[in-house]
Amino acid sequence: MTVHRKAVLIAAALATSAALALTGCSADGGDSGESLDGTQLLTIPREDMGTFDRNFNPFSNPEFPMTQQAIYESMLIYNPADGSTTPWLATEWEVAPDSTGITYHLRDGVKWSDGEPFTADDVVLSFDLQREIRGGFDYIETVTAVDPLTVQFDFNEPFSPALLDIGHQIIAPAHIWSEVDDTTKFANEEPVGTGPYTEVTSFQAQSFDLGKNPEYWQPEKQQLEGIRMLAFAGNDGANLAAANGDVDWAPQFIPNIEEAYVAKDPDNRFYWFPPTGSMINWQFNTTKAPFDDPDVRKALSMAVDRAQVTDIGMQGYTYPADCTGLTGSYDTWRDDTVVESCTWTARDLEAAGELLDDAGITLGADGKRVLPDGTPFAFDFSVGSTSSDWVSVGNVISQNLAELGVTVTVAAKDWGDVVAGYENGTFDSGIVWSANAPTPYQFYRGVMGTETVKPVGEQTFDNYHRYGSPEADALLAQFAAAPDEAAQHDVANQLQALFADDAPVAPLFPGPEWGAASNERFTGWPTEDNPYATLSTRSRTTVLVLTTLEPVTAD
Amino acid sequence: MSLAQNPQAMAELGLGTAPGPDGKPQAAPPPPRRRGGGGLLRGLVGNGKSVAGIVILILFLLIAVFAPVISPGDPNLITGMGSQPPSLEHWLGTTAKGQDVLALNIWGSRSSLFVGFSVGILALLVGLLVGLASAYLGRWVDNILSLVTNVFLLLPGLPLLVILAAFLPQGLGTVILVLVITGWAGSARVLRSQAMSIRGKDFVGASQVTGESGLRIMFREMLPNMASIVMSTFLACVIFGIGAQAGLEFLGLGDISTVSWGTNLYWASNDGALLTGAWWVFVPPGVCIALVAFALALVNYGVDETTNPRLRRPRRRTTPDEPTRVAASVKNSSSQAAASQKEQKR
Amino acid sequence: MAYMLRRFGFYLVAFWVSITLNFFLPRFMPGDPVSRMVARLQGQLRPDQIEALKESFGLSDAPLWEQYLRYLGQILTGNLGFSISRFPTPVVDVIGSVIGWTLLLGFVSLIIAVILGNVLGILAAWRRGGVLDSYVPPILIFIGSFPYFWLAMGMLYVFGVVLGWFPVRHAFGVGMTPEFSLAFIADVAYHLILPATSIVLVSIGGWMLGMRNTMIATNAEDYIVMAEAKGLRPNRVRTNYAARNALLPSVTAFGMSLGFLVGGALLTEVVFAYPGIGFTLLSAVQNLDYPLMQGLFLTITTFVLIANFLVDIVYVRLDPRVRVS
Repeated sequence: MTVHRKAVLIAAALATSAALALTGCSADGGDSGESLDGTQLLTIPREDMGTFDRNFNPFSNPEFPMTQQAIYESMLIYNPADGSTTPWLATEWEVAPDSTGITYHLRDGVKWSDGEPFTADDVVLSFDLQREIRGGFDYIETVTAVDPLTVQFDFNEPFSPALLDIGHQIIAPAHIWSEVDDTTKFANEEPVGTGPYTEVTSFQAQSFDLGKNPEYWQPEKQQLEGIRMLAFAGNDGANLAAANGDVDWAPQFIPNIEEAYVAKDPDNRFYWFPPTGSMINWQFNTTKAPFDDPDVRKALSMAVDRAQVTDIGMQGYTYPADCTGLTGSYDTWRDDTVVESCTWTARDLEAAGELLDDAGITLGADGKRVLPDGTPFAFDFSVGSTSSDWVSVGNVISQNLAELGVTVTVAAKDWGDVVAGYENGTFDSGIVWSANAPTPYQFYRGVMGTETVKPVGEQTFDNYHRYGSPEADALLAQFAAAPDEAAQHDVANQLQALFADDAPVAPLFPGPEWGAASNERFTGWPTEDNPYATLSTRSRTTVLVLTTLEPVTAD
Repeated sequence: MSLAQNPQAMAELGLGTAPGPDGKPQAAPPPPRRRGGGGLLRGLVGNGKSVAGIVILILFLLIAVFAPVISPGDPNLITGMGSQPPSLEHWLGTTAKGQDVLALNIWGSRSSLFVGFSVGILALLVGLLVGLASAYLGRWVDNILSLVTNVFLLLPGLPLLVILAAFLPQGLGTVILVLVITGWAGSARVLRSQAMSIRGKDFVGASQVTGESGLRIMFREMLPNMASIVMSTFLACVIFGIGAQAGLEFLGLGDISTVSWGTNLYWASNDGALLTGAWWVFVPPGVCIALVAFALALVNYGVDETTNPRLRRPRRRTTPDEPTRVAASVKNSSSQAAASQKEQKR
Repeated sequence: MAYMLRRFGFYLVAFWVSITLNFFLPRFMPGDPVSRMVARLQGQLRPDQIEALKESFGLSDAPLWEQYLRYLGQILTGNLGFSISRFPTPVVDVIGSVIGWTLLLGFVSLIIAVILGNVLGILAAWRRGGVLDSYVPPILIFIGSFPYFWLAMGMLYVFGVVLGWFPVRHAFGVGMTPEFSLAFIADVAYHLILPATSIVLVSIGGWMLGMRNTMIATNAEDYIVMAEAKGLRPNRVRTNYAARNALLPSVTAFGMSLGFLVGGALLTEVVFAYPGIGFTLLSAVQNLDYPLMQGLFLTITTFVLIANFLVDIVYVRLDPRVRVS
């Protein structure tokens, strides 16, 4: 046989055997094509992990998908989309008159997924573990189990935001965790929780499934057969899965979402980006002149065309911020009088120019502004290179500021680099997120409180722009000691007015909480008209969605 | 006219000084050794494949140099509606943000070609220095340099690239530096083995005896005789530079603020080009990279065929057992050259 | 034997240099894992939790020398510590769960590319001037000139999304459990087709051209003429004499490629969401996850060195001239 014929024969043999192997699996690879009989799994992508490691420890691995959402629950749930608070593992609570303590009454009849009853001891242990492993809750003095269904928290100082802060802590079973040697390194491979989906029915590096909790306290709300998480190494893969209809919930950033996602199945698919993420600010390093002058900050803020920023940079997914600095989750806190009298978040090149002139930063002959000492007014805008939307925002701002004669250079580097610059106070200006707790206390504290200010060179994780105001401190202390919500709102209004006066940072736009979903296989999603939760898979409201969704059955 | 039939040219290339079939050094006409490169160039111009490659390269170089003329203005400016397919107004359509794809790629050629050729030249220079020094200075210098070269060869390239690019400040300089650090070892190894074989030749010994300085011997005697290998290595380094830069930038580790083919692909992916079916954003940068790399490969092909005439396409189709018709004297050295060229292609 | 000992000694030195670099390089990177985590979580991490984090990660303030010696000790005992970015999973577990898939993808692609490429190269050299010799190498080289992630994305889009012929992600069908059954293996093969093909397409041109060139050079050797003169069949000459000698550079190249399997297919894995080591490495670097980075580098370096050493052994057996030199 000649070479040629032999080669051809070999190739043919290979091809045939390959084809035979393929026929064994082509039609159904398990990827899709299930029938809609009500047993379909809710499929959700996770794009930042690449692969899953089997570790459901809620204290040392809290970002793991579904651990804090489907397996473990908290005492209450605050929904930033509509401002409501839903009792969950706790049914009632009493706040001490001077905000120095709270007593929570736990729900009766709740069981752990292994059958043991849920009691106040579990709450006590959970807070011990949380403070030991991850820290925080410094204001708590003691946690006591008054009786099996009542927990009492005592603080060492008044702290009114504690209600929701404590209420959002997940609770883990004491009878399991007290037996664990090294709670930080405990892998918790077979988790025991109170949540709706706690049983790990399948676990691979590329995906895992969670099945129903047989002892769940709201069995009528467990309509799903289970949850399936898929691992992806980046947005591209997750977006492709969403576009293809291989997942039901798409909580990641999808570029051009109308065309890329919705258009493929407009009857079923929708997206909703409530502006309940943290406020995204343009921060200036107030330790560097002329950024220490509030008028200069206001002028720079006035030069920004926020409509362009949100339309072009953020593809229209959010809206411009106002002078309160409050993001959309604080709509119920917003003081409209401050908003109406606001001047420096709307574009006004003339007024901005005047403010700069008054500050001594004048236009040179070449159309570029110079500082009083003669050096050109030019600085960097730091942003992480992987956040392409924020890089676009930076580009828009740079172009906007050029019209004012100020040269802003977009310095897009690795995020680690950027944040290191923020932490050490060596940056010029940059784009940054802010705190987003249920009350605006943490936000204003991080943006104006002197406690959070650290000198340049000392690493800080809060208040990168290093601005502190004693008036803010006084107001914050009042807020912490506020006896009731009305008092809190009062102080919040004053905080907003102070923020509008001082302009410690230039708020750009509320960060949207990405979320898209399809009604093809499951219905009951939260929407703009029915905002009972957000479409995030990583927040406390996620369990609200998990207990409301129902599978679609084809009949 | 085939090079094989020109003994003068063969001698110029240094091929005529190889030992003949009887193992004894041949009496070659006194070769003007400095003009080793000249014969190669002439050979290249005569070879169809390399001419095609050179033409493509010159085309791209012209586009890069004259980018401000061909496509005036800042390519980053938004000049149209987002995601428009190719039309008369925008020949290659627009990106998701509304920028002109053709302009972006024309301007992108500057950065990509600059980085590619810089990496090529620098990696080649470093490899050349190391290779020549290793071969000429011998013994312990050779041992140390070989060790360093081999260690660098064994360090996994991509992870090292990722680490270096992540921790050095962003900019084209960093990209070039990082690529040279990860790329020089391959060329050093190839050049060293070629230099070693030339080191053993008589004319080098003769130069030493006549008192030429070491540097002069390395660069005036040995180097011109390695012209073809140097050329091949250079081309391979440039290909490596362009491809690796594209990969780095696609991951977001390069310099995001520049316009280059790699960053065009990065933005295409980030803006979901393929997801929305906007293939016109995604295809051109890849095709440009492929064309330049292919052109370089064609020139490399030409170098191979020029220096090893066996590789040329035979005038007529031959049967398996008929050897290619070549002058017998060039047998051994050409097989050596071919083997080392093959090695460095890896 | 002396040759082998020398090579072994060299590998030991290279290993030590690599792990030293492996230790120091990440620590020269600006920032620290905790601030990277803060950057990654963008506001979800509360500032008052940072100290506790630092402690649980085991980040030490001891002088670098001490940490280095401790690190060397840990390597010798096989304790690679706990990953920071995937805390608290041990590094060994992280690597172990993904390395298998990378090896599978890399190895299958490499074998196919090598075998196909070399066979094509041999055939091309045998029939000089034919289609295989004149047109196929340039075409394959052109295909191989595309950036390999571009080819991967293109193939994914065309064959996976538009035509729907192949699965578009993962190593096997979601919901299946790995087991040694024909159905599972067939499913894995099915999922392997697109990623492996993209890698093969990029590399096959080089193998073919290299083999072809070497074969042509070998064909001109004296002993080939001698074999033909003695009247051996052309097939026998080609296979037993020409190809065997022409394979030597390929063996070296194969060995080197084998070593790079583990570090190599990063972008392919990202594009196809293949659960391999590539993305783990990228995210380990971006999160300044020292233990995981060190563990991964150690794994990759060990693989490369072992592969090269094995190739050296095989090469000595294949080519006796090396022993003499």
